[in-house]
Amino acid sequence: MSAMIEVRDLHKTLGNQEVLCGVDLQVEKGQTIVVIGRSGSGKSVLLKHFIGLLKPTRGEVLVEGQPIAGLPERKLGEIRKKVGILFQSGALFDSMNVEGNLAFPLWEAGLRNKKEIADRVAEALEMVDLAGEQKKMPEDLSGGMRKRVGLARTIVSRPACILYDEPTTGLDPINSDSINHLIRRLQKRLQVTSVVVTHDMKTAFHTADQIAYLHEGRIYFYGDAKGLQDSQDPVVQDFIMGRSGDSD
Amino acid sequence: MFRTLGRIALSFIQYLGELALLVAETVQAMFVAHIRWRLFLRQVVEMGFRSQLVVVVTGGFTGAVFAAQTYFQFHRIGMESAVGAVVSVSMFRELGPVLTGLMVAGRVGAAIAAEIGTMKVTEQIDALRALGVHQIDYLVVPRVLAMMFSMPMLVAECVALAIWCGYLVGTQVLGISKAYYIHQMITFTGTRDIKMALTKGFVFGILIVFVSCHQGLNTKNGAVGVGRAPTEAVVISSLSILIVNFFLSFALNIFYPAG
Repeated sequence: MSAMIEVRDLHKTLGNQEVLCGVDLQVEKGQTIVVIGRSGSGKSVLLKHFIGLLKPTRGEVLVEGQPIAGLPERKLGEIRKKVGILFQSGALFDSMNVEGNLAFPLWEAGLRNKKEIADRVAEALEMVDLAGEQKKMPEDLSGGMRKRVGLARTIVSRPACILYDEPTTGLDPINSDSINHLIRRLQKRLQVTSVVVTHDMKTAFHTADQIAYLHEGRIYFYGDAKGLQDSQDPVVQDFIMGRSGDSD
Repeated sequence: MFRTLGRIALSFIQYLGELALLVAETVQAMFVAHIRWRLFLRQVVEMGFRSQLVVVVTGGFTGAVFAAQTYFQFHRIGMESAVGAVVSVSMFRELGPVLTGLMVAGRVGAAIAAEIGTMKVTEQIDALRALGVHQIDYLVVPRVLAMMFSMPMLVAECVALAIWCGYLVGTQVLGISKAYYIHQMITFTGTRDIKMALTKGFVFGILIVFVSCHQGLNTKNGAVGVGRAPTEAVVISSLSILIVNFFLSFALNIFYPAG
């Protein structure tokens, strides 16, 4: 297996705070890695480096072996065709309906055949269980539906890798479970590499081939779900069990 | 005291630097990226077409009241016939472009900052970038081009209405001779005045659109930031228009001297 995404000694400082302090991580092709960590631990910051949305203060980010950290914004376009991202809020364009949102990446990629665009939009919506919802506006969608439409927009241009930023945050348990199954189903159907950032342990155990625990700006634990569960490290155990250490 | 002044000076220089970078990126984008003409047309409708009412009302009533006030002063020394010339030249050279600029800053500048600011805090701009679309190409270039196209026309519309309303008030209400009014107006108004109005309108349009886009693109802190961005865009645009107008009047007077 070769690496789809690799980060080496990644440092990121936001304001006066060093959020990432030397992260090393390798995501193999076809693999699903889940990055877990507490809120504010820098998971989303790390994820945004994989697609060049943030520039590292120090360190390297490689996508299919190509360093992207120093690339100007205009040169990142090609990289971003390979790697799609689902944002925490869905980040749908609220001036467009669902169909417009999904057609947007295809249109921008130069596709002009209306029938082909409509077919691919319908296919992507069908994959996320939202067939026939083309005409709805983002404001008419629930939180779960927005994430699904966001995911459909990500997969419509068929990227080789999908990044999920907190895919289940803000959803009820049933919707969260449904999104977890959807992530697994898409992995099987599209054979994509996936990186899921979450603090939801159910999502982590359900979707991960490998789990990376980000703690105090570094990868504290890396291994499979069983290894994580069996770990005797108190920091890891506290996180898995959701123990804050506070007393009443 | 000195530290505070220094900090203000530094943030002002930083602001100018950021604005200059935005201008440079936009100019570069106009040459290296394809222009989205569909978005340009949509912005022309939004910025130009839909601003007409506010601009026309502003121009019309300003021209009317300006004619009346000029008449009240000039009537005492028997110079009523000069009212048309004063209204026309003033509207072309100063009031038309400045009033249009201020009204457009309020209507369009605020809308630009609010829309782009909302897109920023809801990650829509990150989504654009993630889909391989440069934010400047998609959000800024069409707005800049639309403003460059619309603003001179809005200024022309404002001035035309002002002159027409001034003429109506002067001749129909205040009893100035129509023939003298028009003759004096044509005698003292030249193409130099029209060029000055259009040039100023063009410059003010560029000021408004870049200031507003910059405010939108730099929006932070969620809803509070989105609320602040349009206010700051309008305040900065309006003050810039008034300050730049002062220097522009002197500079343009070299090329288009008053007749």
